[in-house]
Amino acid sequence: MNKTLHEVIARKKAVGDFLLSLYITAGYPHLKDTPQIILELDKAGVDFIELGIPFSDPLADGPVIQKASQIALNNGFRISHTFEILKEVRQQSSIPILLMSYLNPIYHYGIETFLNQAHIWGANGLIIPDLPLEERGLFTPFLDKYALDLIYLLPPNAPDERLHAIDDASTSFVYVVAYAGVTGRENSDPIHILPFLQTLKKSLTHPFLVGFGIHSHQDIAFYSRYADGVIIGSAFIKYLEKVTEKNIPKKTREFVHALTSPPA
Amino acid sequence: MIPNHAGYYGQFGGSFVPEVLRPALMELNDAFQAFKKNRTYQAKYLTDLQDYAGRPTPLYFAENLTHHYGGGRIYLKREDLCHTGAHKINNTLGQILLAQYMGKKRIIAETGAGQHGVATATVAVRAGLECCIYMGVEDMKRQQPNVDRMTMLGAEVRPVSAGTGTLKDATNEALRDWIATSKTTHYIMGSVVGPHPFPLIVRHFQKVIGEEVLRQIKRKENRAPDILIACVGGGSNALGLFYPMLPMLQIEMIGVEAGGCGLDTGKHAASLTQGDLGIFHGMKSYFLQDYDGQIKVAHSLSAGLDYPGVGPEHSFLHHTKRVTYVTVTDEEALKAAFLLCKTEGIIPALESAHALAILEKIAPHTDEKTLIVVNLSGRGDKDMLVYSHHYHKKDHHE
Ligand SMILES: Cc1ncc(COP(=O)(O)O)c(C=O)c1O
Repeated sequence: MNKTLHEVIARKKAVGDFLLSLYITAGYPHLKDTPQIILELDKAGVDFIELGIPFSDPLADGPVIQKASQIALNNGFRISHTFEILKEVRQQSSIPILLMSYLNPIYHYGIETFLNQAHIWGANGLIIPDLPLEERGLFTPFLDKYALDLIYLLPPNAPDERLHAIDDASTSFVYVVAYAGVTGRENSDPIHILPFLQTLKKSLTHPFLVGFGIHSHQDIAFYSRYADGVIIGSAFIKYLEKVTEKNIPKKTREFVHALTSPPA
Repeated sequence: MIPNHAGYYGQFGGSFVPEVLRPALMELNDAFQAFKKNRTYQAKYLTDLQDYAGRPTPLYFAENLTHHYGGGRIYLKREDLCHTGAHKINNTLGQILLAQYMGKKRIIAETGAGQHGVATATVAVRAGLECCIYMGVEDMKRQQPNVDRMTMLGAEVRPVSAGTGTLKDATNEALRDWIATSKTTHYIMGSVVGPHPFPLIVRHFQKVIGEEVLRQIKRKENRAPDILIACVGGGSNALGLFYPMLPMLQIEMIGVEAGGCGLDTGKHAASLTQGDLGIFHGMKSYFLQDYDGQIKVAHSLSAGLDYPGVGPEHSFLHHTKRVTYVTVTDEEALKAAFLLCKTEGIIPALESAHALAILEKIAPHTDEKTLIVVNLSGRGDKDMLVYSHHYHKKDHHE
């Protein structure tokens, strides 16, 4: 369990505020941009960060994050850069950072070695989309030792018993997937998952954040009524496509501002 | 029991997929167990194998090839004579029945050489189900005749340009499709790869190859074979041949991986012999990967072997040393294809030519009583572009 992450969640819940989390692909758009982007997101009021470790074959991701991952790898991204990013951010900010990675890079690195490094450089948790609940034993023996939370994804097609199993296994929050599909769907109508969200509100003992396909202030307004927060990924990555290197700080702030304040 | 309930073959296998796919895999596993006990479906499968696919396929004594090498007696298991031209139809005939049993309305598949795509399109159109095949753009170029066949059979061929535009990328895209559509769509996996229960299901539908070989060789030679040889992409034709004879420990088994331009060039598809243990495409197995666990680009002249991973049961058989895995280069495979053509009048698929190529190193060192069975997994029609190119090049040089 990670204290900082829990505190941030508890603080927000206490005042009835919803949590805003942003996903960024490490090493994208340029290799050295990531720490600055994270620091700007922190200043703009984002509650925590998902730091995506680029993978050659991101199976659960749509075209936007696929492309960002490929660009980051072409930029020369190495797994070790993850820890350099953390090191740089931690000199100025304690914003919770969840490392999002597919299983193979971590497995190849050595699970315990990776978790140890993540801990040393100040990560707060992990999200691993292709790690099934049944295989969590690969990670759980080390989570307390390295003060990390493992976050599980809960899709709308999960039967009741899975919902409870995932809730039971969770330690901080549950990552609810807004639709059955890969990340970044553009025309996902949130109204379809309303019954699911209502079930979750009754059944889950942990706070839950909704992610996948969320891209507007309107989406956030909708989800904040039913969930404890939202996670935004592809929309931000896509937005960064058009941002020049020197504009990144300003544009990052503008992006968050547009999401959090009602359109004029 | 191999695999165990979680789909493990020793330490290999498992089911590493996003939670969203779990219901589909559970449904598939339940359906498969029920299917095996359902007499009506079983009877239909057996009839289809016989009357539609053309089984049993012959076990042919290749007398000229045997004389050429001057060693053991070489038999060819003629999967190339199956309807659609390769062993792939054994699997798709079974899985389409599973799809119907589950009430699915749509079929998707990945394909490399296009053989699995054609075999899938074939059974889908016959079952009246919508069919979508994912194929890398690179593979579409080198296996054009199969793209045309799939299209004529009514399937939509979706080109995949991501990554290297080969089998790995097509598999990614098919899995992404399935993540969104599994409620109504069945994914017909083309080899003994992917998350449990796919490796088990595909093995089940391919093991007819080995079962027939055992019966046929007993009739011809009055005993079991001594050496089995098959090429290994994902590993379905090899496992289909090996599996029924695995307990017969006196039988030597050889799996041939694609050595591409040569192992030292790094341009190959030898996942088992050159790869590292990893977790990808839903399974724990051996994969070609770099220092950071990024999946590497495989290379083989043969599109059907051009995959950076291998089925988990092969990893297990490699680990336990029950099967010996070796590699053959593009050049060696081409040479073997032309040799089979010249000696036996059979044009093999490039994939199968890899299995044939290893004979040169093995057959001459066996005595004339040794019985060698090579799985001729497919025919070479789809590879004519590559063959004719090679032919003209050779002409030019000689
Ligand atoms: C004729 C033929 N043989 C072999 C293979 C390789 O697949 P597997 O290793 O699953 O048999 C293919 C794949 O496309 C093929 O078309």
